[in-house]
Amino acid sequence: MQQQALPGARFVDPKILMRIGNLELLARNVVEGFINGLHRAPYFGASIDFAEHRGYVAGDDIRRVDWRLFARTDRFYVKQYEADTNTNLSVLLDISRSMTFASRGVPKLEYGCFVGGCLAYLAQRQRDRVGLITFDDDIVSHVPPSAKHFNVVLHTLERAKAERPGRLDVPLHKMAEHFRRRGILVLISDFYEEPDAILEAIKPLKFLGNDIIVFHVLDPAEIDFGYEDASSFEDLETGEQVPVVPESLVQEYRALMQAHIMALTTRFSEHRIDYTVLNTAEPLDRALFSYLSSRERLMRVR
Amino acid sequence: MAFLTPFFLLGLSAIAIPVLIHLIQRERKRVVEFPSLMFVRRIPYQSVRRRRIRHWALLLLRAAAIALIAAAFARPFLRQGAAAAAVGGGAREVVILLDQSASMGYGDHWDRAREAARTAVRGLGNDDRATLVLFSRNAEEHMRATADRSRLEAAINAAKAGSDSTRYGPALKLADSILSRSSLKRRDAVLISDFQKSGWSGSEDVRFPDGITVNAVSVGAPGTANLAVPSVTFARASFSGQERIAVTAGLSNKGDAPLEDVPVTLTIDGHEIQTEHATVGAHASGSVTFTQFTLTGSNVRGSVHAGSDLLPADNTFHFVLTPSAPVSVMVVDSGDRSDASLFLSKALSIGTTPTFQVDVSPASRVTPPALEKRAVVVLNDTMFPPAGGGGALERFVERGGGLLIVMGDHASWPQGEADLLPGRLGATVDRTTGRSGSLGYLDYSHPVFEVFKAPRSGDFSAGHVFRYRALQPGPTDRILARFDDGAIAAAERKVGAGRVIVWTTTLDDTWTDIAVKPIFLPLVHQLVRYLAHYEPATSWVTVGQVLDLNARAKDRSNRIVVTPSGDRITQSGAGQGNEGLLELSQQGVYEVRWSGAAAGRPEAIAVNLDPVESDLTPLDPRELVAAVTGRATPTSAQPAVAPEMTREEAERRQGLWWYLLMTGLLLLAAETVISNRLSRREKFL
Repeated sequence: MQQQALPGARFVDPKILMRIGNLELLARNVVEGFINGLHRAPYFGASIDFAEHRGYVAGDDIRRVDWRLFARTDRFYVKQYEADTNTNLSVLLDISRSMTFASRGVPKLEYGCFVGGCLAYLAQRQRDRVGLITFDDDIVSHVPPSAKHFNVVLHTLERAKAERPGRLDVPLHKMAEHFRRRGILVLISDFYEEPDAILEAIKPLKFLGNDIIVFHVLDPAEIDFGYEDASSFEDLETGEQVPVVPESLVQEYRALMQAHIMALTTRFSEHRIDYTVLNTAEPLDRALFSYLSSRERLMRVR
Repeated sequence: MAFLTPFFLLGLSAIAIPVLIHLIQRERKRVVEFPSLMFVRRIPYQSVRRRRIRHWALLLLRAAAIALIAAAFARPFLRQGAAAAAVGGGAREVVILLDQSASMGYGDHWDRAREAARTAVRGLGNDDRATLVLFSRNAEEHMRATADRSRLEAAINAAKAGSDSTRYGPALKLADSILSRSSLKRRDAVLISDFQKSGWSGSEDVRFPDGITVNAVSVGAPGTANLAVPSVTFARASFSGQERIAVTAGLSNKGDAPLEDVPVTLTIDGHEIQTEHATVGAHASGSVTFTQFTLTGSNVRGSVHAGSDLLPADNTFHFVLTPSAPVSVMVVDSGDRSDASLFLSKALSIGTTPTFQVDVSPASRVTPPALEKRAVVVLNDTMFPPAGGGGALERFVERGGGLLIVMGDHASWPQGEADLLPGRLGATVDRTTGRSGSLGYLDYSHPVFEVFKAPRSGDFSAGHVFRYRALQPGPTDRILARFDDGAIAAAERKVGAGRVIVWTTTLDDTWTDIAVKPIFLPLVHQLVRYLAHYEPATSWVTVGQVLDLNARAKDRSNRIVVTPSGDRITQSGAGQGNEGLLELSQQGVYEVRWSGAAAGRPEAIAVNLDPVESDLTPLDPRELVAAVTGRATPTSAQPAVAPEMTREEAERRQGLWWYLLMTGLLLLAAETVISNRLSRREKFL
């Protein structure tokens, strides 16, 4: 892969891909697709995987009649097989201003771009269609899912700039109108809203039958609040400044953050939405490998 | 209040700074970008925009510190204080006159006086100067024009009440001289005393110029009672060749209550000889006579002590007794009558101090050896004795003898002895017709007539003079007395170490009746004493007197003087000027040990308080102040013109800026401590 020449190619880091390259991003739900892929189609079709019997009706292909069962029952039954299809993978990337934060190393936005890029690559390799939507307080850019849009996705990731404050409800509700086919939606954000509001924003997408994967990207400073000097803290979203003596509130802040994460974990779990907290200090390959492998195991069990 | 540099008050505007800081909270320059303050806002805090002043005490502390420092730089001063200081005239020159006379030893007078002096010192301003003058009979500076209060107080603490009498004149004159020379505008004299009346006669001729204030501080207490032994007298008698002395002690009760059964003790050479009890009425005097005792030697020390009271110094009277030697007098008369020298010999026989050993001899029978042994030779209306011829009498006089030449009918004087006679004799002047003569002029400065100077000491004018010899005195002769017509009654000529006096009338009843007048006896005694160079043995002297020990010592030898307090003073007999002078400043007995003197008791000099010091009758201080200042009211004198004090001088005197600056700095230090503690406690600033 010519990373230097291709915009956004850097988001498909070979080191990361090397780690996760053997994994498959399997859709939790049965998705629709027209190309044989990894995902379970909601319909029975030609496949090597036997699903179930049903009574013969006029017009069925007589090659599907299970003659052994006829011999046992003197009745005509046909076999139904599970059909593998391809799916849409859309990366929903929050590019609000809070995503530009970086206490050290990688900004959250860039980290999210890496996540989105790698997952897009994984999906594209699985012959899934990939798309991208970037949003802040509204949809910024929309790359419809397509097998040919991988490079466009990378290009769009490359050009993503966090310039405005963000919110989830408006852009996600708009997205719900765009998505006509069920697919995998990878929502990457820092989720600085109330858990109820977040769920309310995501629910329309869930109700459409999409398989939603949520990545909660946080900087270590947002988790630990490891500041020492009393300073004025400026909200990147609103611009509001508040004087803070960190040592006086660090414990309470950490507790609030953990409570927020726990609340999201609970809420997303209730709605069968995969929720993962990504710490930008943690290597992405490890984080994605951990997530994808656990997801794959879960899917195989079904 | 006014300000020397009001421009610095603009610094008060800096008070707005802490107010703004408290409200605006812009001290946090470091801004940290954070993704979202969603959780931070949930933690209770106060929004900066909604911030109100919470720590009013801290704000007020800061504002007060800034205000005080700004005010300090503006150099404030009080106009009222400056005006008061200007009215007062600024720095003061103060003279503290502290009475240390013997009467100040009464009760707690001395302690109270010193405390009053310390109070005066403590009342001195920073720019004031004070001089401490201790006075009794004389005045002496002990600390000159100093602003050092500690030194002044040290001098006061070291001062002691003395034994001398009180005189306000010298002290006030000294204060006048100090204050008059001062360049300061305000000049005060503080007179601390018991204001003994005897110390001020009103004729001291002290007058302070305008502008000098005299503050009288009286430490005397009303109703003082004091018993004193002001003097003793001695009655000498001769018995079996020894002299016996009867001591009579005078007692003086200055109190309002009579004193009864007061023990009075006579002590001789440390042995209590006798104690008598006396009763003395209020404000009255009395006396006690002790039994005679034999005077066995010279320099016998004695004392009389009476009772006890709050001024013990005057309850004891010291004296020294030495046997008196009679003055040998030879009266030479004409011999034609047995009673020619009756009046003279009788008068001389009565004398006790000294006693006169009188021998009367006709002129014809006088021998030269007889002259040698005499102190005085009286040629009583007689011719020149042949024994005195050839210069014998002149040699007698030259060697220190005294010669009294009394004129009369028989008196004559050879031309060859003109050097002895104080003048040239003239004819007899008859004053029998008309009004008789009398003595009209006496030289009271002469030792013979000095004792008669005081009023009612003797009426010489009562004597009538009927005849006298005219006398033309020589250029060096001293006229001692004149008759009412101007003729010389007595004249003196000094010949060598001796003295010659001529009396131009008789000393009997032939030419005058002075012999039957009361004045005759003391006149004769004075003439003979003077001619005999008689110095009465002083049994005591008064504190303050000065003795010339060089004059007392025949061979001018060295000596050691031991004072009553035990101090030893060494004097050289060959010293010049004041070397031989001994100031008797302590009550008691001084001992003079002459070097080379034979072993035995040293010469003793008894010193007693001045009897007037025992009279504690107070003087109204206002009277003294009025006499000295010329103002009837005792209020402080105002300067003629209240000098105008400059703003700089007023501010410098008050020095408020220093206190304001220090207080402001202390407040800043407190603010630092408090604000650090508060910032640690708070989550947000």
